Amino acid sequence: MNAFSAVGSWITERLPVSAADLRELTNEPVPNHLKRWWFALGGTPAYLFVVQIVTGILLAVYYQPSPTTAYESVEYITTQLPYGWYLRSVHKWAATLMIAAVILHQMRVYFTGAYRKPREINWIVGMLMLICTLTLGFTGYSLVYEQLSYWGATVGANIAGQVPLVGGLMRDMLLGGDGYNPRTLPRFFILHAAVLPVVLILLIVLHIAIIRLQGVTKFEFEDERAEPGESPPSRRTFDFFPDHMLTELAIGLVLMVMLSFLATLWPATMGPRADPLVTPDVIKPEWFFYVSFRWLKLFSGLTAVLSMGFVVFVMFAWPFIDEQIRRRTRFTEASVWIGICGVFAIIALTVWEAVVAH
Amino acid sequence: MTLDQKRWVIVALAAVFLLSLVFVQWMEIVRRAEEAGISEARHPVPSSSQDCVSCHTQVSTGIIQHWETSRHAEAGVGCVECHRAEQTDADAHTHYGNVIATIVTPKDCGECHVTEAAEFEGSHHAAGGNILASLDNFLAETVEGFRGSFNPHSPTPGRGEMAVNGMASAASGCQQCHGSKIALESTDGGLITVDDLQPDADGRPTNLEAVGRILRGPEGRPVLASSTWPNTGIGRLNLDGSRGSCSACHSRHDFSPRRARQPENCGKCHLGPDHPQKEIFEESKHGVAYRDLRDELELDGDTWVLGVDYAQAPTCATCHMSGHSRNGGKITHDPGERISWTNRPPVSLVMDTDIEGHIVTETDLATRQELIADSAQNKRNRMRAVCQHCHTPNYVDAFYEQYDDLVILYNEKFAKPGQKIIAALREQQLLTPTEFDEEIEFTWFYLWHHEGRRARHGASMMAPDYTHWHGMFEVAERFYMELIPQARHLAEGAGARGAEVERVIDEILARPEHAWFEEGAEAQAEAIREAMRERYGDRS
Repeated sequence: MNAFSAVGSWITERLPVSAADLRELTNEPVPNHLKRWWFALGGTPAYLFVVQIVTGILLAVYYQPSPTTAYESVEYITTQLPYGWYLRSVHKWAATLMIAAVILHQMRVYFTGAYRKPREINWIVGMLMLICTLTLGFTGYSLVYEQLSYWGATVGANIAGQVPLVGGLMRDMLLGGDGYNPRTLPRFFILHAAVLPVVLILLIVLHIAIIRLQGVTKFEFEDERAEPGESPPSRRTFDFFPDHMLTELAIGLVLMVMLSFLATLWPATMGPRADPLVTPDVIKPEWFFYVSFRWLKLFSGLTAVLSMGFVVFVMFAWPFIDEQIRRRTRFTEASVWIGICGVFAIIALTVWEAVVAH
Repeated sequence: MTLDQKRWVIVALAAVFLLSLVFVQWMEIVRRAEEAGISEARHPVPSSSQDCVSCHTQVSTGIIQHWETSRHAEAGVGCVECHRAEQTDADAHTHYGNVIATIVTPKDCGECHVTEAAEFEGSHHAAGGNILASLDNFLAETVEGFRGSFNPHSPTPGRGEMAVNGMASAASGCQQCHGSKIALESTDGGLITVDDLQPDADGRPTNLEAVGRILRGPEGRPVLASSTWPNTGIGRLNLDGSRGSCSACHSRHDFSPRRARQPENCGKCHLGPDHPQKEIFEESKHGVAYRDLRDELELDGDTWVLGVDYAQAPTCATCHMSGHSRNGGKITHDPGERISWTNRPPVSLVMDTDIEGHIVTETDLATRQELIADSAQNKRNRMRAVCQHCHTPNYVDAFYEQYDDLVILYNEKFAKPGQKIIAALREQQLLTPTEFDEEIEFTWFYLWHHEGRRARHGASMMAPDYTHWHGMFEVAERFYMELIPQARHLAEGAGARGAEVERVIDEILARPEHAWFEEGAEAQAEAIREAMRERYGDRS
């Protein structure tokens, strides 16, 4: 018995998993439609999330979450720490791309009807992941303790405070008091660097487990109709290893190249240090909140918060609402048209917020 | 896509990613070099000036390198932002697609630096060009040179020019500090200045006939008269009607605040026999401290507020212009705001100024009070606020008493009498109307313009040697040994007219402060000798 097989047996005795089992577990046949790259977008946010974890841990080594040190520590990372500017810029750009990828993935799922029975639960898990991702974005830019961080957090907390009944409690929970105070920043940091990532990891595990249990939704395209004598294309598959893995690797590399170039060409900058005594003339959140920010400006306090809550509720419950529409009406494609209207509304509100000064 | 193709795609992507990491490494090296001060920080070139920079990097590298280190570059202010002109401007021309002008005037700088430009416009600095019609310029243009050109009287081997420019001393001397009257060459061989262009409030010429006569070179570029440009004199008379040149102090194209804060910057003009302010500063305790501690003065700071950013030693800018902790850090671009005497004229004047910034010479007290818009006391209080960062109020008050006493002593003992003697000679027509054609005119000029100023400036900035040996000692020697004898000589044999002058001189010399000169002061001298003997013993 040579040394390799001795080590192999030693491990197999203690971890009774055979290589063949592993291969079967990971090498599930992949439906043919996944050869089309836009169906591989689901892996993109996960990939970017890994980038966020790695860069985030490195940044957390130097970040000091208190109002007296936060800005200076981010400044140190940006201007003095070797490669600090690169890590921070990659972290910032990966966040932007991750949110964009989540939105694109969700749009793909929506427009292909992949949320329909029996995948309603996974849609809800996906919605939770969307909210988790956006909250990570919000808490992330609050940590820099620049003017945008401070006033963004203050505005965010005030919006939460508008929610009937539990608003005050939500605001207090978010800020650690009824206003921004020295305990607020550590709270944001714990949310951003510990609580939300763990929740997101659990949701990802759940999301993937459900996919594996149910199998990926199978699609059939016009140009893939079965020729006489062939098996139906919906049953056609290809190997995860190495075929799909190589696609994922290619996408990963494209993302790394994009991140690297974005980080070097447009590195993360710093705004003025937070000053509780000076309210900026213009407060704007990050781009992914433009849509909700514009919405809030269109309506007065309570109406805005309630209507927004209603929209979010509809999004969560969409698989069931869609089911009812399809069952009770003859508009079987209503979801597509509603989706198109929704996307246009999101784009319009975002652009509107982007181009106006106030 | 086959598996093989996929593998190749991955190899290519991996190579690009590695390349991007090499780029990251390069950026890190550049950043470290900048941080260590090995290389200057680079700033992106604004898109408006990309073409200018890429071409001028080749043809005039220094301009670009200076600009790259400037605050302007940092703030995204490129070439075009300052050199931009309107097609209707007299000196505008199209240069590779951009309408520009060569000379950037305070009106241009004032587009962004509104307060600074306004303060400067009201300052004595901006009026520096007034010398172009003064006695000083008569020296350069007539005594030293010639108002026009003349033929050389013998050849200069190697030089072919036939005409001598009589204005050369004025152009290379006076005007480089005081400012030239910028001129464009005319198609009729003459010159076109602001007087011909008659610009409106926006600086656009209203006399289109004069604009039509402008001589244009390649690209339609108006030809600037070399007798008036290059010039960064502080009171330059520009074609757009503005006065001055910001680059007199804020040298182009790096516009370094560090340089403007240093005395050497002012020393381009404030030096020499007639107003050696820089040398006076160097002799003073202020200058000694500056020389020793200049490395600790935070000269590179974004802000430079006395009492906040530094307090080790002052420079010219500190006392006369810079912000300090007692005035909220407010800088002024009018150095006259803190000056309580003007020691420029033969007799020093109190700096009570009217609404237009002119010195009030009215003697009636009530009328004077009505005319004064900014009193000398106000100006002094502004300076005292600076002084009191390092000195107690009592100390500052006592210094000002010493300074006032010296100025008044000079005024009363030598300046006013000298002025009276010269006036008597003119009144009695014992001098020609022409300046500087008689010895006594040079004598009087030396007395007040050179030595008298040295004494007064020396006292104003605590330089004892300039106050005494280069100042009052030479004033006295010039007065007693040259002015009086020369005046008496002119009066001799001039009959009644001469007698009147003699009467004025005698009346002056009979005053107690001058009595020693003719009556002798042996008793006083003996008292001094006795005191010396008591102190040091008889060493003869």
